[in-house]
Amino acid sequence: MPQPLVKVVDLKKYFPVKGVFRVKGWVRAVDGVSFEIMKGQTLGLVGESGCGKTTVGKLVLRLLEPTSGEVYYNGENIYKLKGSKLKEFRRKAQMVFQDPYSSLNPRMTVFDIIYEPVKVYKLKVSDPEKFIVDLLYKVGLNESHLYRYPHEFSGGQRQRIAIARILALNPEFIVLDEPTSALDVSVQAQILNLLKDLQAKYNLTYLFISHDLGVVRYMSDWIAVMYLGQIVEFGPAEEVFEKPLHPYTKALFSAIPIPDPELTRKREKLKAPGEPPSPINPPPGCRFHPRCPFRMDKCSREEPEMIMVEDKHWVKCHLYTKK
Amino acid sequence: MEMAEEVYEKKILDKISDKVIDGIAWLMDKVRKGWKRRNKARIDEWKLMAYAFNRSPPGLIGFTLILIFLALAVIGPYIAPFSYDLPLTAFDSTAKLAPPGKVVTIKPGQLAEFLHVKPGNYTLLLGSDDYGRDLYSRILYGARVSLVVAILIMIVGPWIGIAIGLVAGYYGGKVDEALMRFTDIFLAFPGLILAIAFSAVFPDRIREFLAANPAVRDFLLALFALKPQHAGAMASLISVVVALWLVWWPGYARLTRGLVLSARENVYVEAARALGVPTRWILLRHIFPNILGPILVYLTLDFGGVILTEAGLSFLGLGAVPPIADWGRIINDGSAYFPNAWWLIFYPGLMILLTVLGFNLIGDTLRDVLDPKTRRSIEFKIKKKASGGK
Repeated sequence: MPQPLVKVVDLKKYFPVKGVFRVKGWVRAVDGVSFEIMKGQTLGLVGESGCGKTTVGKLVLRLLEPTSGEVYYNGENIYKLKGSKLKEFRRKAQMVFQDPYSSLNPRMTVFDIIYEPVKVYKLKVSDPEKFIVDLLYKVGLNESHLYRYPHEFSGGQRQRIAIARILALNPEFIVLDEPTSALDVSVQAQILNLLKDLQAKYNLTYLFISHDLGVVRYMSDWIAVMYLGQIVEFGPAEEVFEKPLHPYTKALFSAIPIPDPELTRKREKLKAPGEPPSPINPPPGCRFHPRCPFRMDKCSREEPEMIMVEDKHWVKCHLYTKK
Repeated sequence: MEMAEEVYEKKILDKISDKVIDGIAWLMDKVRKGWKRRNKARIDEWKLMAYAFNRSPPGLIGFTLILIFLALAVIGPYIAPFSYDLPLTAFDSTAKLAPPGKVVTIKPGQLAEFLHVKPGNYTLLLGSDDYGRDLYSRILYGARVSLVVAILIMIVGPWIGIAIGLVAGYYGGKVDEALMRFTDIFLAFPGLILAIAFSAVFPDRIREFLAANPAVRDFLLALFALKPQHAGAMASLISVVVALWLVWWPGYARLTRGLVLSARENVYVEAARALGVPTRWILLRHIFPNILGPILVYLTLDFGGVILTEAGLSFLGLGAVPPIADWGRIINDGSAYFPNAWWLIFYPGLMILLTVLGFNLIGDTLRDVLDPKTRRSIEFKIKKKASGGK
């Protein structure tokens, strides 16, 4: 078995809810998440807004300190890294943010934006201008964009700049936090293809966070479905899309719009009525049970274990544990 | 993406400001090769800012007032007919409390050679004070004193506050609490009262310091355009500067902290952190440039405030001591002869008023010009006019 590049074990992050004098409660943003990503592959992390996807992304890069749990990068616990090793990890593991309109400093030119990481890590670059123009070409821009400010660019171009800034560091692992959700559909496709090309070219590993299921399907090798701070289903992308197991996943996928009214009418629809409950006070037992059409008595009492139903296809649901 | 320069209807002023900015760009390009090419977007931005500024009559009035003030402060001591401490009563007994327009005659041999004054008839433009010192000359020297004091305060005081605000705002938590409570202690006392307390403590030490460092003393004397024998009087002026350093920062600390609190939530700050950019760089390169606009406006508005406070302290008898010609001091000395010798209060008061007004007008206009939202609306108006005129 090859070693996974990123291995996440029982990761938890609780945010305090502060009262006037004491902490009133905890928001369980991430509550026991585990997964692995192999080198050169993409894990798609899906779920509705507020389920903790972005928090997972930040924890994996140590932009946040977890409440408990570990993240191993190349076999090393990233929360124990110090000094030059931490710096090396920071260089290799990067992030692309959701909103390219706010993730670039409006007071810096494209040159300064892309050159900043080079200065931070004191990389040896003999001709900065040429170095950055090369990067711009890699992401589909050119030298005429070198000394412009972010406000002169469209959303897609800005996301390209953000990607070029990361490529300057020659990273291995990139967390893509909804990189296309702020963009037009036509531009989305360009950015996604760019990301795929770069992955093939530089053997990059992606954690792709999105709520857009179509995009995730296109990008991912593996899929993890999150609900209220937990992963409820995990498996190979095609398998999960073809044969979703968890009722939440089924409900999620049956909400994907199909551009064909005939098919839309015919297909089996599964509804999860209501809103996701508050992560401050999650329901006991299975977290999905108040909305689940298949709930049983057991569901409100016992929390289901994550079990492997088929080869490498895991699910956290009592429907599959009863046997 | 091209900056549509030809769309703007350019006035004479716009062409002048273009020339000035091009000149600065040319200079920068000489110093650092390729600067102009790398900063083309920035130069265009500056030009647009200048166009917006040129469309604001109050701003232009303020700019003119400040230009006059600066000119007076720089060349004033050279064009003043008399020195600030020359009693004309030595030549003409009627020169005491002479009203504006009075002619004083200085005859040869009347100590004139000794006092470096050329004999002849002099019209006292703004009158004279009770020692027979020419008010016009004293006001010119006073402009220099006011400007130097204001600059000395502004290059230190606010920056203490800005540094404290940056650190407090960015780190938050206990650091923020500690620094802000410390700031509150200073804010709890009225700045002027605190400055009075401080400025009473310092003069002796500063006098000793100046005596021990003649190079510093001579430099400061030249800055203030004072005679060497008045170094002792200058010490109390400097003590006011030091006192104002100590009380001038809390406002800036509060302002900066507030700005940092909102600026640090920007995604680009988080992105910089994700890239591994050190905290110092994040503060200086990502946060500070993006909050500089409001700080600059506050600094400009405050420039007038500093001049006013310094004049106020001098009026109260602190700071400038006789014979230093400080505007506040002149008013203080003249107050004993009011309203008979009204000019002793009116003219220096007018100078303070115009200077402070000038800085306030500029600050107000800068607020509009530096804020991209209001500037766009100004630019939009210019564009519409230009296309409608065709």
